[in-house]
Amino acid sequence: MTVLLWVLAVLATPFVLFALWIAGVFLKEFFRPSGDEADPDAAEALGLLPAERQNTTYAGPLPAGVDATLAAVRGGDWKAAAKLMQDIGRDWERRSSTAYLLAEIAAEEDDWLLAWESDHPDDPDAAVVRARSTVILAWNLRGGKLAKHTTSEQFTGFHRMLERSREEIGRAAALNPDDPTPYITEIWVALGLGYPNSEMDKLWTEITARAPHHYEAHFSALQYWCAKWRGSEKLATDFAERAAADAPLGSLLTVLPLIAHFEHDKSDDNSVDRTPKMIGRVDAGLADAAAADPTHPRLPELRHLLAYYLSLQDRDDAALEQFRLVDGYVNALPWRYQGDGEAMAAYYCRIRNATAQAVAAAE
Amino acid sequence: MGSTLRALRALVLLAGFYLLGVILLAALAGADYLLYLHAPSGLAAKLYLVSVLLAIPLIRGLFMLRTPKGEEPPGLPVTEADEPELWRTVRELADQVGTRAPSRIVLTPDVNAAVSEDARLLGLLPGPRRLYLGVPLLQGLTEAQLRGVLAHELGHYSNADTRLAAITVRGRAQVLRTIGHFEERADRTAGRERARQEKKNTKAAAKGKNTKEIDTGHAGITYRTMAKIYIGYAKLYFRATLSGSRRQEYAADVAAARIAGRDATASALREIPALDAAFGFYMNSYATLGSEARLLPPRGEFFGGYGRMLTARQLELVGLRTELPTEPTSPYDSHPPIADRVERVEALPADGRADEGKGTALGLLADPDRTLAALEDAVLNEEVLRFRRTGDWQGLLDGSMAANLASLDTALHRALAMYTKDHPSLPALLKVIDDGQLWQLARRLPLSDQAAEAQGRAFREFVRPALADALQSMVLAELSAHARLRWEFSWSEPASVHLPPAPDGGESDLGAAIEAAVADHPDTGPLRALLPPPAPHGPAARETDAPR
Repeated sequence: MTVLLWVLAVLATPFVLFALWIAGVFLKEFFRPSGDEADPDAAEALGLLPAERQNTTYAGPLPAGVDATLAAVRGGDWKAAAKLMQDIGRDWERRSSTAYLLAEIAAEEDDWLLAWESDHPDDPDAAVVRARSTVILAWNLRGGKLAKHTTSEQFTGFHRMLERSREEIGRAAALNPDDPTPYITEIWVALGLGYPNSEMDKLWTEITARAPHHYEAHFSALQYWCAKWRGSEKLATDFAERAAADAPLGSLLTVLPLIAHFEHDKSDDNSVDRTPKMIGRVDAGLADAAAADPTHPRLPELRHLLAYYLSLQDRDDAALEQFRLVDGYVNALPWRYQGDGEAMAAYYCRIRNATAQAVAAAE
Repeated sequence: MGSTLRALRALVLLAGFYLLGVILLAALAGADYLLYLHAPSGLAAKLYLVSVLLAIPLIRGLFMLRTPKGEEPPGLPVTEADEPELWRTVRELADQVGTRAPSRIVLTPDVNAAVSEDARLLGLLPGPRRLYLGVPLLQGLTEAQLRGVLAHELGHYSNADTRLAAITVRGRAQVLRTIGHFEERADRTAGRERARQEKKNTKAAAKGKNTKEIDTGHAGITYRTMAKIYIGYAKLYFRATLSGSRRQEYAADVAAARIAGRDATASALREIPALDAAFGFYMNSYATLGSEARLLPPRGEFFGGYGRMLTARQLELVGLRTELPTEPTSPYDSHPPIADRVERVEALPADGRADEGKGTALGLLADPDRTLAALEDAVLNEEVLRFRRTGDWQGLLDGSMAANLASLDTALHRALAMYTKDHPSLPALLKVIDDGQLWQLARRLPLSDQAAEAQGRAFREFVRPALADALQSMVLAELSAHARLRWEFSWSEPASVHLPPAPDGGESDLGAAIEAAVADHPDTGPLRALLPPPAPHGPAARETDAPR
């Protein structure tokens, strides 16, 4: 009997050893920090911010004083808003982006805007903010999910608000006939209500007659031409290429081919992002950014995309340079599509840290 | 495969349907015998037990194959003395088709015509035939179209193809009935189990114990297993006989076109889906309008109104006729898609009979009004027949709307009761709005997740449509209680409501007043102007307040 036990023990030893080894491997794997998480040290050594300190509301810093004005408007001071709009005057690029910032506030609560409107019944600035706020409210009601995850209650509210906004857009356009902003606002109505391409082309003629190389107009129209909205990959790419080719250096419209590529990219590897064509597009973007007015409100949006594609193309030094110029604000493509707040910042930091690590390793 | 061979195969498959249980039982017994011969006794004993458990549903299934005599659907049987013209037409058609005429005609309250046969000996021998004929068909079809429909139905029993084809038809009907019977039994068993558990729960709750979730998962499982085996087989049977049945349907259509004329047959096929949709709409929106108020239209009008509505809504029917269903109605249905059938009939050569029998098929009845009234007595249940009859349709509309509005209970009523801890009334609601508490009240409405999360303007836009709807109902109820509303009945359009004229004599704009009352900064002024002045001394004052 004892002999039998001994034989069994000898036979069992290899099994026991094997089991212990497996357990060891498992524990080691379990406690190791996750492999695809790039080490943040390299980036933070350069003074770049950790994810929790990234601003997830804007793509870049607001112009001086605007932050304080927005806070005052939130507190009900419509005169601050009126002054901000008035000071901008006919700078359409700034006018459309500032009107958007104010309208975002009015889409939540609009008491201050009502006060402004009742004090100055035919103020074109108040009218354009009103129109934009209704369109933003419509999109807030819809939510950012795919159509199949959006309820009919959301769609009903969305369509009702968009229908209402059309009248307000018309009014804003009539009060300030030179201003392209009401028409730019209408692009988002065209997306939501599904204007036919022919209507969109008419709208586009109105816009380009007023501002031929307007960033937000082109950005919005490109969304309309994307396959997921009312166009196709070909329509979007053609639109983007043509606009980029026709625009003067410094207008930032070189961002459009990058966005068109990004919106229709369904591949799961990086080879499509490293083609000579994509490298050429990124180079054009770098030249455009260098030539642009450094205070252009949309410049950070181009830089975010440049940083992303430079990183994917393993041009890490150039990528890191762009990251350093925009660090601190992450609400821009491509990060924005990862989700709200944390997810957005985490995605940005992951790519940025990998870039910083690659640069540090190369030195 | 020739048609005789096809029919023979159908016959063998039908036999298999009945023998299925016996064969499975035999297989089980055979397996047991093998166990007895070869397996050790301990293991064999356990396996016997398993086989007995498996045999139980099989044996039950064998007993279930004896289907009860199909119950006649509710309807009005009519004798030859009642409807000589109808009987003469049916006999004549059966003659032309070359088959036996039915021995019974039953008028039914649906858009349907069918000839059924109580086949004997498991569907092998012919039995007495019945014709079920929907009165709504008579109301919607011309005489020639009806002849086409009837000729088609009788054509199923014609022996033009082969004698055995009739067996296929009978076999299909029998198999379908058997399966229906299985499912019914399974449902009933599950129902009994549900009732038993509910009773148990009630007792438990009465003693203050936790109640269990009702689960009828296991009840009726033997029936359901059984039904599954047979349904599986039946599907095989249907698939095997489908092409044959389709061929018979097309043949019956050709026969119908020969007898009733090509154009009448094709247009009848187009008409039936349209009539069916229209009849569903009629029953919902007209015939049963007074069900909550326990009101019925005048005698004979419950089904009679359908004819009036068809006349008034001819334009809508045109649209329904052109869109033909291209899918078969159910996988068991032997009829090919209507679109196919229409196409085939219309492709037949013209026969120059487009102008025959243009009069309404209702003309075949001796006294349509009497028959429509008798049909009500035959198919409506006693409780419904005791409902009060109104003088006319307008009276039915007035009575129903007044009763529905008087018993109005919306989500807004419940939210208001919860918010004010008081009886929910329109004055109470208007006061809440005037006090600037509308949006706090709105938080008490049943909200979707998105609306519940929303704040500010987004929240208000989410709830505004529901608020406006509920408020409008409450306002109408208030006006109705003071007899200030006038409803307008129409056969061609939805009923419309007329408000008393505005104080300045113009049209009252209820929509605008409601909109103002649920605006971001609400104003109940326009709405109050539309309402009757509040009664100073309770109910007594109300009488004088209401101009009749």
